[in-house]
Amino acid sequence: MYGVATGKARPVEEEVITEENVFERPDETIAFFPKQVLYDLFVTTLVLLACCVLSYVSPAPLTEPADPATITYVPRPEWFFFFYEQMLMFFPGYALISFGAVVVPTIFIVLLLALPWLDRGPSYSPMRRPFATVIGLLVVVTVLLNMLLAISRIINFPGQ
Amino acid sequence: MGMIGRVRSQAVDASKLVTDWMEHRTGIVTMMEHFLFEPVPKRGAWIYTLGSLTLGLISLQFLTGILLLFYYVPTTDHAWNSIYYIMNEAYFGTLIRGIHYWSANFLLAAIGLHMAQVFFSGGYKAPRELNWVVGVILLLLVVVIAFTGYALRWDQDGFWATVVGMKIGSYSPFVGGQTIRFLMGGDTIGPATLSRFFAIHVWLLPAALAPFIGIHLYLLRRHGVFGSEFEYTERLAKLHERQRLERFERYEEEDGEPNTGRRDRADRDGSE
Repeated sequence: MYGVATGKARPVEEEVITEENVFERPDETIAFFPKQVLYDLFVTTLVLLACCVLSYVSPAPLTEPADPATITYVPRPEWFFFFYEQMLMFFPGYALISFGAVVVPTIFIVLLLALPWLDRGPSYSPMRRPFATVIGLLVVVTVLLNMLLAISRIINFPGQ
Repeated sequence: MGMIGRVRSQAVDASKLVTDWMEHRTGIVTMMEHFLFEPVPKRGAWIYTLGSLTLGLISLQFLTGILLLFYYVPTTDHAWNSIYYIMNEAYFGTLIRGIHYWSANFLLAAIGLHMAQVFFSGGYKAPRELNWVVGVILLLLVVVIAFTGYALRWDQDGFWATVVGMKIGSYSPFVGGQTIRFLMGGDTIGPATLSRFFAIHVWLLPAALAPFIGIHLYLLRRHGVFGSEFEYTERLAKLHERQRLERFERYEEEDGEPNTGRRDRADRDGSE
């Protein structure tokens, strides 16, 4: 009798949870609007504010005008290419450089694209698919270590 | 009815008229309801802001990039001078270029974190494989946009980093030479290179990026946010409990003899 008014008292059919539908919806949900939208706006606004402050505290760099005649200038890549530049140091010489510069990154990108078909197991939790988790952690550690190596090299040998 | 009440009811009527009119012609109200009230996972909601942060930062790139075009001149004679003008003379030039520069840095970091989150929570698994693939394509596009943007400054850093980048690219087996000559517009880095990098950074890749962002969001909404396995703890517990009971029943049927458990006791009590 009150069921129609509230929309809640209607008898809910007990859902049978199977392997197929268990991940169809989470245990607890929130409406995308307004809660998730507010969270998103909050984080994005914080980062935007950080950008505004940094624009004046540490303005976007602009070095001397480009001069193709200089021969001593040591260019620095941007920080997100540090690990790549550092990795090239492990492939010295003409024979290896094309391997390190192009072949290895291409293989990595192909593996990245193929990831969903390489790891087709039913478990999602990182603890129950240790192979993928260990490989992922190794990639993260390698990238971070290479970045640290590049930064320490730049600090140790400025202008080289 | 008082004055305020009358105004209020008239306002409600008017807004209902407008929304009905729009709904009837565009279906926008139903669409907004569909998009806005979609249920999303609750427990890790703060972690899932990484994706929308990425989208927000890309929007900032588009916005500040368009504003920079008001002053930037993509020629070897004027590129550096126009940026110097933006930084020192133009209204809010420091701020606009600063946001473009810093949000690009944050964007690369946000993409890295977003990818790590999806990787370690297994969010790329069926049926969301293609969304992972689209995400990798987006990553590659953003990296190339970041690389081509560095050259547009036409300062020593940007110029020589581009020289090094082109040198590295020329080592590609088979296609290296031709690709690099095409990108540089000749055998050396010069005016043609700047024009091409400008076209790639400002038009070609942003235009390629936009539809892939659209597909990424469409697929996200089609399959729903996965989140992480801890969003499904209770449902998994129910599933495992049911599977345990089923295994137990099968075991009983095969074995014939009931041994332990509530069900056995109930059977025995019923027969006695």
